[in-house]
Amino acid sequence: MNTPLTRRHFLRSASAVLALPALESLDFRAFAATKPATPPKRMIFLNFGWGVTNETWFPNVKKTGADWELPPGLAPLARHKKDITVVQGCSNKFADMPHWGSTFWLTGANRFGEPGQSFHNSISADQVAAAHLGGDTRHTSLQLNAPNADDGHGPGLSLAWDQRGKPMAGLENPVLVFHRLFSDETMPLAQRQAMLAEKRSILDAVTVNAKRVQRGLTKTDTDKLDEYFQSIRDIEVRLGKDERWLTVPKVKPPIAEPKPGLAGREEIKLMYDLIAAALQTDTTRVITYRQPVSTLLRSLELKFAAHDISHYGPGERMEASQKRDAAQSELLAGLIDKLKAIRESDGRSLFDHTALAYGSNIRTIHYLDNCPTVLTGGGAGIKRGQHLVLSKDTPLANVWLTMLRGIGVNTERHGDSSGLVKELIA
Amino acid sequence: MHHRWHRLLFLLTFIGTASRAADTPQARMDEKHRAFLRSYCTECHNANKQKGKVRLDDVSFALDTVQRADLWQRMLNQINSGEMPPEDAKQPDKLAKTDFLDTLSRTLVVARKSLGDVRGKITMRRLNRREYKNTIRDLLGVEMDVRDLPADGGAGTFDTVGASLFMSSDQFEQYLAIGRRALDESFAQAQVQTQKKRFEPETIVPGMKRALERMNDDHRRFTEWKAAGGKPEDLPKFGFRGDATAAGFSDSIWQGNHEWYERYLARPELQNGLLLENTMNETMQIAMDLPKDLPTGDYVFRVNVGLMPDMPTKRAFLSFLQASPLDKADTTFLASRHITAPLAKPQVIELPFSIVPDGPRKFIFMEKRSLYTHGFSLAGFTKTILKDPKDRDPVLWIDWVEWEGPLNKGGASSPVASLLPAANGAKDRNQARALIEKFATRAFRGNPPEPEFVYRLVKLFEARIKAGEKFDEAIKTPLSVVLAAPAFLYLQEPATDGKPRLLTDLELATRLSYFLWSAPPDDTLLGLARSGELKKPAVLAQQVDRMIASEKSSAFVSGFLHQWLTMERLDFFQFNTQNVADFETSVKAAARQEVYETFAHLLRSGDSLGRLLKSDFVVINGLLASYYGIEGVSGDAFRKVKVPAGSPRGGLLGMAAIHAMGSNGERSSPVERGAWVLRKLINEPPPPAPPNVPQLTRLEAKALTTRERLAAHQEEPQCAQCHRKIDPIGFGLENFDAAGQWRTGDSYWKRGVPGMREKKWDIDPSGAFFNGPTFKDYFELRDRIAARPEKFARGFTEALIEYALGRPYGFSDEPLAEWIVGQAKGSGYNVRTFVQALVASQHFKAK
Repeated sequence: MNTPLTRRHFLRSASAVLALPALESLDFRAFAATKPATPPKRMIFLNFGWGVTNETWFPNVKKTGADWELPPGLAPLARHKKDITVVQGCSNKFADMPHWGSTFWLTGANRFGEPGQSFHNSISADQVAAAHLGGDTRHTSLQLNAPNADDGHGPGLSLAWDQRGKPMAGLENPVLVFHRLFSDETMPLAQRQAMLAEKRSILDAVTVNAKRVQRGLTKTDTDKLDEYFQSIRDIEVRLGKDERWLTVPKVKPPIAEPKPGLAGREEIKLMYDLIAAALQTDTTRVITYRQPVSTLLRSLELKFAAHDISHYGPGERMEASQKRDAAQSELLAGLIDKLKAIRESDGRSLFDHTALAYGSNIRTIHYLDNCPTVLTGGGAGIKRGQHLVLSKDTPLANVWLTMLRGIGVNTERHGDSSGLVKELIA
Repeated sequence: MHHRWHRLLFLLTFIGTASRAADTPQARMDEKHRAFLRSYCTECHNANKQKGKVRLDDVSFALDTVQRADLWQRMLNQINSGEMPPEDAKQPDKLAKTDFLDTLSRTLVVARKSLGDVRGKITMRRLNRREYKNTIRDLLGVEMDVRDLPADGGAGTFDTVGASLFMSSDQFEQYLAIGRRALDESFAQAQVQTQKKRFEPETIVPGMKRALERMNDDHRRFTEWKAAGGKPEDLPKFGFRGDATAAGFSDSIWQGNHEWYERYLARPELQNGLLLENTMNETMQIAMDLPKDLPTGDYVFRVNVGLMPDMPTKRAFLSFLQASPLDKADTTFLASRHITAPLAKPQVIELPFSIVPDGPRKFIFMEKRSLYTHGFSLAGFTKTILKDPKDRDPVLWIDWVEWEGPLNKGGASSPVASLLPAANGAKDRNQARALIEKFATRAFRGNPPEPEFVYRLVKLFEARIKAGEKFDEAIKTPLSVVLAAPAFLYLQEPATDGKPRLLTDLELATRLSYFLWSAPPDDTLLGLARSGELKKPAVLAQQVDRMIASEKSSAFVSGFLHQWLTMERLDFFQFNTQNVADFETSVKAAARQEVYETFAHLLRSGDSLGRLLKSDFVVINGLLASYYGIEGVSGDAFRKVKVPAGSPRGGLLGMAAIHAMGSNGERSSPVERGAWVLRKLINEPPPPAPPNVPQLTRLEAKALTTRERLAAHQEEPQCAQCHRKIDPIGFGLENFDAAGQWRTGDSYWKRGVPGMREKKWDIDPSGAFFNGPTFKDYFELRDRIAARPEKFARGFTEALIEYALGRPYGFSDEPLAEWIVGQAKGSGYNVRTFVQALVASQHFKAK
């Protein structure tokens, strides 16, 4: 391997020399003291289904640039106003399903793009970022997900779609996320090595079977089976990583193990804590979260179905819709607080190195234009504290492209992008 | 003879398909619409002036490529959203615009369908979540909780459609893990002892008596404190720890409930049993917390229960629930039982349940009631809300509750049981190899594993032995790999591109079995496949009958109907118990079951599909009969019951579940219902709800009747194009409330809107189909729909083809659908004929 010296290599050799030091003392700053480094860039994508309250979520379009006012739906973000940018005017032009709030959000794909298929998708922006940022962390990317079918997200298993446009699985249980990120194997090293070896043998065995199955398949079937082969390859990559990280104990979690059974607001808050913790410990650098709406409503004691609220009108349902907006903004403000409070090796905050996008493919009711979009964080060099009203029907993918370029991905296009959003570049 | 026409007809279908495949309809806009474009579009969008970089003067009227369809789609979106023609430009008149939009949106549906047509190609698929669960059950005899696997379906297709069933590395790991646990369970269950424990519920009575004493004591001290001047600082002196509000609150509970408690605890029936009471805002629950280390498997609860005399029969139901291991307040309804025995001569009811790894261990019995809202009852609640003692006095008396299990001994009842116990004495690799081969052959549905694969699995086994494991333990590793191998997870039918071939007998057995059972073929099917008998039309038809008669075909009935009729809507919202008080969990479950049981009855008895449109009988149990107000039905089994004269029941449109789906849990939704009828019963699906169309919610704060409110749909062409077809049908069904109960009036009122007064009106169900016949009420509407069974049969057939063949229904399937409907028509639309004809068709037997 001739990869450049990275933090991971340092940790590996350190652990070899020091025979597994107490890693918590070897935190990022301690490391940076030995090797001055710029903290890595991170990306977060947060999506909610069913959209927002049109009348009260969007800032007044007449006041743009740095001179704008927070609308009620975003009011809880007041303390971060200088750090958030609201973008209006973007949409995914091929999106045509009013109940699919996240399927094409990060991909900008044409559902009907593939003749002979009734569904087609392409890689999501987070996975483009993960390919760029994920090599040196224990987890290439992390997908979090709300399992409820009534959350208005549409087809998909998380916000992430891989390079072939196939849905990527997401973790739904915060406790499981915590363990995946922070719980150390209690097993002795030799036994873990044996397990990895066994895992490889298992993969070899099923590959033998897969090759047999592959014989004589049609092209479509071969493509289908290729998903299986790809899964095996993905695990092999993961095993390779596991092996490299075998002697590196997982980082001590900056938060306590979550209680099981939390739902709605508490669950989202917890997932946000886990997001901050995962980035803080550099366990991964790219995270998506397909958020729940139904359970959020229930936790706010709003007794309406999530879909129903999106068809609000004056009265109870509109109030409920507004309460949901405020609760979501409040949660986001809390996450920003957390990211700002975490110091990194260069003395700046985690927030300064993170690019965060928050929004939905649905504006409100059945409207798929002017997708609600809030950008924040200093990771992608996005101009902050702005209210931008872009020309109608600007591809949402232009925003993703601008962010991807901002974190250093060298790409010319993403999805149906037509160019960078110059107004966003600081 | 019966079979000769079968053979003849394959030939016909095959030929029919071959000749028709070429004329898949192309989506094309009629040339007459060019005038519309010329009048309103091309002035700006022409060769010279391509405003917005769009040119429409040369647009192709054939929507035969994705790009062309996309251009028309953009036009539709622009006109729908009101962006085009621009405000200051010439506007089309309403009717012309409505018709243009109507034609264009329908043409686009055709275009998408035509461009997405897989032309009969079946994509290889993996087992979906339901099938995986059943396959593990049949193979190892254990029920596994598979909720961790991703849910299948979506993208508007059935969960059997291979193209929409994906695989990921996480999922692979889950298959390995679940497979391993299933093996652990199966091995363990083969050895466990059956246990039995009985609980006498009157043992909790002394505790309740103590609670009452405390309540009385609280009240006594509260009264004394009051008499002493009621000063907050005196509270501790009288034994109160909280403030005056808290003390007052506990006293208000005494006010509201003590009398009732005294009366309840004085009842003689509590001496040797327990009465399920409704003292507070809640219904008493008997919660059985079973030991955490209880072996997994099938269990049964037995409850000896009787009824108090002279109480309302609609309260004679016992509900059975389980509590989530993570959150005890999160309960899932499992079953309800109709209790018919008097207290003097109680009856023993049985409630089967499963203990699954990490699954619930806490089970609850309670009277079926929808009383509890949430929180705590305040003083007077029981007095004001439950004024009538018939509503609050206890009905159910429980003598004892016992559980017994595990009953099935898991692995012992599975097909691999014969090989597993042999493992006990085994030691060497030859025995391991033999076991692996047998197991894999079974798991691969009759296909033996290749030697290289077996070789590697034996190696895995040996590594485990070397690490010190015993045979029984070591063998589980290779066996769990079998359960994550593609030959197990995928239904494979190798074929060459472009050349359809007949399935082998083994492949046919598998396709058939996953179609009708959502499970692997059993020994009979495998045997017939091996002997080459299965492909004989007579044998195949006979097997279809056998499979339909089997209880296992319930997996097809529920799996197919749930998706076909889009019944997931039933779970989209919690029904508002204030509006639809009686539609609580057990009724909702029974209502859902009614749809399945009715179809199963038609399928198994060979009755007509038309009965789903209109019928003189219903298939219900005691609980639903009580809900529908039909007399003389008792017990929990669903059975055929004659519909009383004048009752609106009979057929899907008479079912509570269908109307509940067509509501938002609170109010009926004529739009949901109308669109559903068009999609499912008339097979004229409206185009999908278009994005960016203005909505009607602005009227929400106005006191209008439903008709007045929806009249706004007719104002704008964007809305009218579909709603002129949808809404009248929905209005015709307005006599059903949000939970499917009959009503003659409705009202509207909105909380939080200042100055709003409740509006009441009589329901007027009369109307007319768009460009079609009129109807004066629900009954006539239903008759009109029932008069066209061929439309319904066609929609059903298309769904059946998609479900059974595991690919989206396309235009290239039209000859097949026509043929199946033709067959069925000859039999009076016998439901079984549809299935038989589909299985007999060349399409089902070829890849």
